[in-house]
Amino acid sequence: MVIDVTQTTAGQLKTLGRFRQINDTFPRTEQIREHKNQGKKVFGWLCTYVPEEIIHAAGILPVRVTGYSQEMELEDGNAYLYINNCSFSRSCLQMGLRGEYEFLDGMVAGSTCDGARRLFDLWQHYIKTPFYHILTVPRKYTEKAHGLYYQQVVQFKEHLEEFLSQKIADEQLRHSIEVYNQARVLLKQLYELRKADTPPISGAETMEVLNTSFHMPKETFNQWLKELLDELGKSSNRHQGRARLMVVGSVMNNPEFIKSIEAQRGLVVTDELCTSTRYWSDPVVLAEGQSPVKAISRRYLSNFPCARMVPSDERFRRILNLVKEFKVDGVVSQIIRYCVPYAHDLPLLRDRLKDIGVPMLALDVEYGTSGSGQIQTRVQAFLEMLEARKR
Amino acid sequence: MKVPDTKGNKINAIIRACRIITRMNQANPDTPKSEALYYQMLSSYYTRLRNAHDEGGFIAAHTVFFPSEILYAMDIVPMHTEMTTWMMALFLGEQAEILSAGAELGLVPEICSPHRGLAGAFALGALPRPDAMLWSNLICDNTAKSGELIMELTKCPGFFLDHPFQRSEAEDKYLVSELEDMIDFLEEKSGQKMDWDKLSEIVQKMDHQMELLREIGELRKAVPSPFPNRGFLQLLTVDYLCPGQPEAIAYLETLRDELAEKVREGKGAVSPERFRLMTLFVPPMYLMGFLEKIGQEYGAVSVVEPLFTRWAEGKLDPSRPLESVARKTAMIPERRSMYGPLSQEVLQDLIDCAEQYKVDGAVYWAFMGCRHTCATVKLFKDLLNEVDVPVMTIDCDIVDPTINSEAEIREKMEQFFEMLEDR
Ligand code: SF4
Ligand code: SF4
Repeated sequence: MVIDVTQTTAGQLKTLGRFRQINDTFPRTEQIREHKNQGKKVFGWLCTYVPEEIIHAAGILPVRVTGYSQEMELEDGNAYLYINNCSFSRSCLQMGLRGEYEFLDGMVAGSTCDGARRLFDLWQHYIKTPFYHILTVPRKYTEKAHGLYYQQVVQFKEHLEEFLSQKIADEQLRHSIEVYNQARVLLKQLYELRKADTPPISGAETMEVLNTSFHMPKETFNQWLKELLDELGKSSNRHQGRARLMVVGSVMNNPEFIKSIEAQRGLVVTDELCTSTRYWSDPVVLAEGQSPVKAISRRYLSNFPCARMVPSDERFRRILNLVKEFKVDGVVSQIIRYCVPYAHDLPLLRDRLKDIGVPMLALDVEYGTSGSGQIQTRVQAFLEMLEARKR
Repeated sequence: MKVPDTKGNKINAIIRACRIITRMNQANPDTPKSEALYYQMLSSYYTRLRNAHDEGGFIAAHTVFFPSEILYAMDIVPMHTEMTTWMMALFLGEQAEILSAGAELGLVPEICSPHRGLAGAFALGALPRPDAMLWSNLICDNTAKSGELIMELTKCPGFFLDHPFQRSEAEDKYLVSELEDMIDFLEEKSGQKMDWDKLSEIVQKMDHQMELLREIGELRKAVPSPFPNRGFLQLLTVDYLCPGQPEAIAYLETLRDELAEKVREGKGAVSPERFRLMTLFVPPMYLMGFLEKIGQEYGAVSVVEPLFTRWAEGKLDPSRPLESVARKTAMIPERRSMYGPLSQEVLQDLIDCAEQYKVDGAVYWAFMGCRHTCATVKLFKDLLNEVDVPVMTIDCDIVDPTINSEAEIREKMEQFFEMLEDR
């Protein structure tokens, strides 16, 4: 049955409810509480350049530090980070200052952008988490940059071992690579389904799944996702919309925003967000006899790049590939105000999309926006324009 | 993206402005000799840039905190992009034009104005077309992201210099290897070879230059403090434009001697000296004259700028020139205080500054385009308040005068002085 993307299938997709519950209760989820109750540690991580496998291999639950998946009052965030840091970093700090992350035993970040590094600085100063680490993340992909990043990952692992008074064995790392790679494979399968003319899952629903992926133990997540994929395989529901869209830009983990686009029948089929495609896209490739830390560090630095990396061509190349693979009619760029890395790339990306005849709608947003008001009007106009092009 | 012919660039106008100031200074017998040397330095920097292409020279545009020592050693003509945009704003008052050209390119207002202006200036053809674009991530995302658009606008090749975030042996080595790669790139593009002896000489002079900057810092501790408010920008420009160059040394030596004499004579930059201020981040460029004036009126003088004028201790080694250039980069005040994790050392230094310089109050210029410096407003305020130094924050833009008026800033500063007076 082909249904309009405005109609939710939530009622029919039973397995989706579990993901939704995690999102609704984060950060006070049952999963995190259970993990803590077993006397185990939970670490927060910031930005996709933090190698999660290292944390996981130490028996720690890695949880991505985000804001709530909705816009919130940022009084403290504004006071501490000033209003000109992106609302993502302010939201995270706000939650931290309010004690929402008091269960964290550690905080790990990378030197990815000014917003993230300053968030880390202030977190360290004002929020007392027992363990801190920031990795120098090179901005290039040269062999020398890989060499430096590898040393950084080794240093991080050693720092963690010292904190835990316990070694992290290669065997544990191999296991963690397997678990994380499995999540990547499953998420890729989910995205493959969205290449169909009428995909069985909407963009907003996919975002709900992704949002949980970094907020719960991967083992359980993988199990749930398998069940969801099974269910989707059997489901006869198919979504259609007025145009196929791709969302690009700053960090975003708010299904409501996608929903607001889909409410106008714009079908979101793929994205380039660090909370979705960029999170899962590349597996860790562990060659026979290779050191797992080396394989992990290589993957994290050469993964689908953030706008912080130089040259930006690699990011643009991958975006253009996705546009083709997912038969995208138009690109929605959502850039959080004061997210400088993405803002700088905007004119360059727009030109490249123009060259292949794909229009872009550039939205200035705040983190957690639900996409109401003016955004809706602009999306509406964009969809009309895309439809007119098809006629 | 199309760029107009670059013949109509504004470098000539900057040179003319420097000459006019020099003539005015010559006519005024009270002008310190260092002032004349400063404008001579500027004028020769921009004359070299203007004549570069006619004389067969190779121009490398580069972003702020870039090791231009290497360019001088290779006889490549440097063009400091942010500084040149600032100069255009400062001398020619052309902010509006270049900022709106930046906006037309699609750069949003949240990108800091020096970089919006920079891209706009290139798009307008207001700057000479560089033969290569060099940029780095020192010290923010704006610098890290600015190069590619300029390469595209000017159709020139480019090299990104990746500065590691922290300090360790591996990271120091990485920076040296980045410098080596950059030299290879420049040799290939310019056809000019690195002159290692010349680089060693520059490193030696650089060592002296840093020593002079530290001495000047020491002299400013005197009560009353001898260095005028308008001098802040000059102190930065020297290293930004002419690191280890004879003009820079001549200016700094003269300045140091003048300040030493004032200290001996017990003469302050303002008289009577009533408020000793710490400046955090940079005041708007176009307000330098105003700050001088209000300082004179109220007896307020900036005695220390921890983020910009506190050079690290340490020596360079001319026999290891490239390692020394890398080491110098790590000693730059801005790199120490604004890039890398906010260490205890940096925070302690802030407190030490307040005590060593007998600071009465601090002014934090919260430049809305500069995210990482605004992110420390609250933290620095908390720390300084602990040692009984009140901090006033002024939201501003360092290039764009439309953000807040001089009258507004005057009112805030007057209130702050009143409060300091009451203490
Ligand atoms: S990439 Fe942008 S949104 Fe993400 S932390 Fe950095 S500045 Fe904020
Ligand atoms: S003003 Fe701030 S954001 Fe702009 S270039 Fe300078 S350090 Fe970077």
